[in-house]
Amino acid sequence: MGAVYGIVAREFVRFLRQRGRVLASIGRPFVWLVFAGGGFAAVFAGRNEIDYRVYMAPGLLGMVVMFGSLLAALSTVTDREAGVLRMVLVAPIRRSTVAFGKALGATLLGTAQAIVVAAILLPCVQLRPTLAGMLLGLVALVLSGLALGALGVVLAASIRSIENFAGVMNFVVFPMLFLSGALYPVRHLGPVLRTVAYVNPLAYGAGYGGELPAPLDCAALVLFAIVGLAVAAPLLGREGGVTRAAFRDRR
Amino acid sequence: MTAAAIDARGLGKDFGAVRALDRLDLEIRDGEFFGLLGPNGAGKTTAVHLLATLLAPSRGTARVAGHDVVREGLAVRRSIGLVFQDTTLDRDLTVGENLRFAARLWSLPDRVARPRIDTLLRQFELRERRDDPVRTLSGGMRRAADIARGILHEPRILFLDEPTAGLDPRARRSLWEQIRALRAASGLTVLLTTHYVEEAEPCDRVAVLDRGRLAALGTPPELKQAVGATSLEEAFLAHTGHHLAETDGG
Repeated sequence: MGAVYGIVAREFVRFLRQRGRVLASIGRPFVWLVFAGGGFAAVFAGRNEIDYRVYMAPGLLGMVVMFGSLLAALSTVTDREAGVLRMVLVAPIRRSTVAFGKALGATLLGTAQAIVVAAILLPCVQLRPTLAGMLLGLVALVLSGLALGALGVVLAASIRSIENFAGVMNFVVFPMLFLSGALYPVRHLGPVLRTVAYVNPLAYGAGYGGELPAPLDCAALVLFAIVGLAVAAPLLGREGGVTRAAFRDRR
Repeated sequence: MTAAAIDARGLGKDFGAVRALDRLDLEIRDGEFFGLLGPNGAGKTTAVHLLATLLAPSRGTARVAGHDVVREGLAVRRSIGLVFQDTTLDRDLTVGENLRFAARLWSLPDRVARPRIDTLLRQFELRERRDDPVRTLSGGMRRAADIARGILHEPRILFLDEPTAGLDPRARRSLWEQIRALRAASGLTVLLTTHYVEEAEPCDRVAVLDRGRLAALGTPPELKQAVGATSLEEAFLAHTGHHLAETDGG
């Protein structure tokens, strides 16, 4: 499908051209590893003989995918403000194709970032996953990316401008990160937070959040992705984004 | 046999309580150069966006290239090109990358797109800027690239929404030159919106739009004749009761 390929390819070209974004995505998990990891490791030291940084590493990969996919999908807001979204919407493709293209671009971009980070991070913490473990990890990364990419497109299609990014970060990204099991096991949380963790796609991606068997985790992620895309498609083509704002300015 | 390129019947659009376009009846013939003239806020852009399936009509129907704008959106979008008032190019991508992106959105295979992009870049004098980010282009060049993007898939009907807005006189002239050449070469139907009377002068027919209503319709000479005016500017005044600039909200 030419259009989907075009949307995905543009996503990659843009990413690689923004050097700051590349460095941030690679560097961010190491900042967490050193600062958050150092702190928590001291707190947990001697509890159950697990090196906290080893516990944290897979979760950090989940975090890379989350930031990578979510930010890429949220760039739909920039596309709208810059007018590029109009070029896409006037093309003879379905809104659902646009949403899927954006989410797929986000997924592949997020996954690629996570693979690069994994290549550096895993040797750092001396974690050597088995081949099966790596494959399962890859599936988890891709599916998390798709679920989060779809969520990102929904968010992007619902928020008006880039100024709302901060709100998304505070009220969506951080809670999702903390309730994912990436930093601490979710099973020790109270019932309310534990329930919230169940509607957190990243919790399924990080795997040890919900303590579900892997196939169920995967199914949950696919469900998130499908629901997200179904919601995002009509939102993307919403007329508000195309003419209404321009029209209001003029009156 | 002249099939109607565009056929709108009672087409209208409300935004909340604001009636942007009342009831537009319009028949544009294949190959025609048609002007939609009116001040800002007259409903020109709304009309174009309705015909391009970017907006859903509040009332009425329209067929574009024989396809219904509500039920056959994909088929309509396949046969039209639309150059928006503001650029839709990705400023961070190069001119060439933008055109390649557009070619993929329109599902043009590479072997078809590549020679076409080469031709368009030559035609619009953008060949030397092919690998420069759009951000670095002048307004006129950016607009030329926008138009190249709009006709890359060889549409039957081209919408130009205020194409000269923000361009200097030289860029404007070269733009009209290019549009004339394009029409001569391909028999393209062009629907132009503008609030500059002199830009509507070369059109085959002009519809005067005022406050969401069709105030007059005819060839430029007809419009002048009907009210005994010597210029289209005067004719506009006579047809709408006010100057173009008066309702210009900016």
